[in-house]
Amino acid sequence: MSQQNTTSAFQPEDNKPMIEIDDLSFSYDHGKTNTLKNITLDCPEKQVTSFIGPSGCGKSTLLRCLNRMNDLVETSCVTSGEIRIMGHNINNKEVDPIELRKNVGMVFQKYNPFPKSIYDNVAYGLKIQGEKRKSVLNDAVENSLRGAALWDEVKDRLKDSALGLSGGQQQRLCIARAIAVQPKVILMDEPCSALDPIATAKVEELIMQLKKEYTIVIVTHSMQQASRVSDRTAFFYLGDLVEYGETESIFTNPKQERTEHYISGRFG
Amino acid sequence: MNTGGHILTSFNEDLSLLKEKTILVGTNSLNNLDNAITGLLSRDVEICSKTVMAKDNDEGLEAEVDKLGLSIITRYRPMATDLRMVIASMKIASNLERISGHALSIAKRTRKMLKHEEPEAIDNIQALYQISRKSIESSLQSYADADRDLAQHVLDNEKSISKTYKKTSKLYTKLLEKNDGHERDYLDLVFITRYIEHVASIAITIAEDVIFTYPVFDAENFQNSETEEE
Repeated sequence: MSQQNTTSAFQPEDNKPMIEIDDLSFSYDHGKTNTLKNITLDCPEKQVTSFIGPSGCGKSTLLRCLNRMNDLVETSCVTSGEIRIMGHNINNKEVDPIELRKNVGMVFQKYNPFPKSIYDNVAYGLKIQGEKRKSVLNDAVENSLRGAALWDEVKDRLKDSALGLSGGQQQRLCIARAIAVQPKVILMDEPCSALDPIATAKVEELIMQLKKEYTIVIVTHSMQQASRVSDRTAFFYLGDLVEYGETESIFTNPKQERTEHYISGRFG
Repeated sequence: MNTGGHILTSFNEDLSLLKEKTILVGTNSLNNLDNAITGLLSRDVEICSKTVMAKDNDEGLEAEVDKLGLSIITRYRPMATDLRMVIASMKIASNLERISGHALSIAKRTRKMLKHEEPEAIDNIQALYQISRKSIESSLQSYADADRDLAQHVLDNEKSISKTYKKTSKLYTKLLEKNDGHERDYLDLVFITRYIEHVASIAITIAEDVIFTYPVFDAENFQNSETEEE
């Protein structure tokens, strides 16, 4: 999946986790109440980490903190702690959020391709970065679509509208769009919640392939999905990180009773 | 947070049913064992025959536990303790059914022994039977009550059972060597002793399954499970 070279301030550091979240607290209301409370966890490079927990527990908020998507909410702020990606404190004033998001791509719950051709959707990120060379764009589109396991299905209709694809294909197109700019990290916010079981299986298979090259963090409400695709799982409840560890251990032998109750469906 | 049963009541009901059926396999197996030993000690051929006939019933019930366990796994995708409980129940039912198998073997050997006069020291089997029965009863109770402490108590008694088994087995082997005309009966008693010891081993296996099934949770307010392990 090698594409064109990009120069970035974000480079992985040897022997360090790709993402380090250190005592992070986060508020949506100028610090009056913390939606996330003193979260500490590391996401290792080229592994899948899943965030699970009931609605409102803060897992999507934390995911959005990882590429500063929450900057778009004016009243939000990090009230303590820091997030380091590849060793850089991403909330440092010198860090450009655009540069950050090039390295930390995101795939959303509802697939959201642009109303453009399949080709233009994938090439979009590179074009806005200033890439104009046709051969580079062609290679990037093909490699990204191959990387997203979509190439064979769309190679003969790259100029067709992306909106004509099935839901599962549109979601994989969004993944292709995310990887076209060669991020180091891919964030996925319930990427399969709007997909049928077959499309879900294809995306899950894709996640397993993508983790060979990318660090992936996924928010999911599906316990089965978390247990199938992730290497590590974090369980959140009411803004607290209750438990974090190897996925197998979390789903077979959790150490906290609250985790056990949640994963076994005893939460009311 | 509701920390009671599952949100899905049918899941709760099926798990309870699985447990009830497994306990029923255990109760039947214990009855069969009691009947087999009573038949032996009271030299009652009718009780022995009753044990032989009861075997098929237990096999049917064990198959029901397997079927229900598979159905729960398929329908509810249990996790953690629930999953371990379902798997343990299927294993426990299968092990309990083996007790009925041993009871059947005891009853069959007893029927052969009843054709001859009562051999010496037959009552000496009681001590091993009592301690093994107590063990299987406790392990079944620990499963029913999700009681790790009681299961641990069963495991702690393993040495004592082993000692009693060796003592009883040694006695009948010695009597067998006496060549007093009851060699066949003593050989049967050596085998019966072995069957009872197997029952005690099953109790140990069940107790281990109970400990495997029911976890001890850490105190609240800690985050990274790996940090703690380190």
